Amino acid sequence: MSAPAHAATQPAGPTAPLTAASLTQRTDQVAAVAAEHLARTDRDASFPVEALAEMRRTGLLGLLVPTAHGGLGGTTEDVVTASIALGRTDMSVAMIFAMHCQQVAALVRYGNQQLRDELLPEIAAGRVYLASVTTEAGKGGHLLSSESALTARDGELLIDRFAPIVTGGEHADGFLVTMQSPPPASPHQVSLVYAHRDQLTIERSGDWQPLGMRASHSVALRLTGTVPAHHVVGEHGDFRTIVTTVFAPMAHLGWSACWLGTAAGALSRVIKLLRGPQSRGRVNLDSELLLTRLSRARQRIETVHALLAHTQQVVATADDLSVPRVQLLLNSLKITAAEECHQAVDGLIDAVGMRHGYLKDSPTRLEHSLRDLRSAALNYSNDRLHLVDGKLALLDAEVRLA
Amino acid sequence: MDARFTELLTPFLKFLGEQEITPDASLRELGLDSMQAIELLFAIEDTFGVTLPDDDMNDATFATAGSLWTVISAAMDAQGVDGTRVTAA
Repeated sequence: MSAPAHAATQPAGPTAPLTAASLTQRTDQVAAVAAEHLARTDRDASFPVEALAEMRRTGLLGLLVPTAHGGLGGTTEDVVTASIALGRTDMSVAMIFAMHCQQVAALVRYGNQQLRDELLPEIAAGRVYLASVTTEAGKGGHLLSSESALTARDGELLIDRFAPIVTGGEHADGFLVTMQSPPPASPHQVSLVYAHRDQLTIERSGDWQPLGMRASHSVALRLTGTVPAHHVVGEHGDFRTIVTTVFAPMAHLGWSACWLGTAAGALSRVIKLLRGPQSRGRVNLDSELLLTRLSRARQRIETVHALLAHTQQVVATADDLSVPRVQLLLNSLKITAAEECHQAVDGLIDAVGMRHGYLKDSPTRLEHSLRDLRSAALNYSNDRLHLVDGKLALLDAEVRLA
Repeated sequence: MDARFTELLTPFLKFLGEQEITPDASLRELGLDSMQAIELLFAIEDTFGVTLPDDDMNDATFATAGSLWTVISAAMDAQGVDGTRVTAA
């Protein structure tokens, strides 16, 4: 991807070629719509339908779809760039986008020819927003097991699946669902299956009233229905390969990018407030406490940015992502981004105090960002990742760094 | 595959049931959990007296009983171990 000599003046649509400038233009357009509605979607815990419509219109939903299938042909790096950009304005919108891209990446790499030919052009055209159904009652966020068995019958696959948390589940046009492979033998034999909304009966249960990430509208759903046999993504029982090569790297890179964007956006709004005319003579910019707090926030953001860039590079070039040193790097990125981005915003609240740090109506929106970022450590729990990393560390006696 | 190898594997495979462990048996599907990898390595070290190289700590090695046995056999050759039980120093 290279930058053009001049930026396009027309609004970017799904057909404009992908360049650094056109990607920025697309994310700017989505961010502008998100900004217009974020006070309401946060207050009402409602899905950002307007921002999603703009993602459809600008072609951003098809960022990872190859150009041969009508998409923008973007890379993981483009997803990271776009997620940071969207996160600066609204973390819920950014996460909705990043998680959709994770699903698309799995389809592009592991979908069979028929499924790719049917589905990818629809995604590229902005007609299919994908949600992920991997959570299951009683197993936490553990991806690699499922107690719900998929049934194969007469060339079709029967889905009956309850999931306690499906981000955007009420608005998704299609779902990628993990289920135990047919015939049922072991909960460790997991398959990934695509189901279009009109192939499913969808029952919602419960309400969505969280602390933060309120616009992500992550509801509990029961999905039942029948899909053709070719809707299995990858080999039956081989979801692990998809997790190692696509799902986990895309999740950790994408989430970290969203969180980094959220922290960077918060710092940017604080700096603009401090430099604004209304602060002249009222804020002491020589305050050593203020300067140190700004420096600490910036330092945390720089740390996450550097780790994200390095991990992205390793993922793009490593031959085998399953080795401990790469897994440890990916997990460290997630844990570090979750902690540092949250702490950066928490520190900014101390920096600016009650009026602009704690009240909802401050233009810094620190209160909103802090609530959103509190989810980062829980979204695939840092505690669980530390246990995995401890075991992985034991496997790497030489401590070889990726 | 060595009989001692299938014997040491069995406790890690909670979905094995009455099946016999064949070289193409998927260790993950039979219940091997990545959280048990270090315990499995200890069992291999104690039984065969070899340490598996760090480079082999990947999904391909732990894919099937056969792939793991291949790595163990190669390590025994490379480390000049004949596979008889070693006693701890």
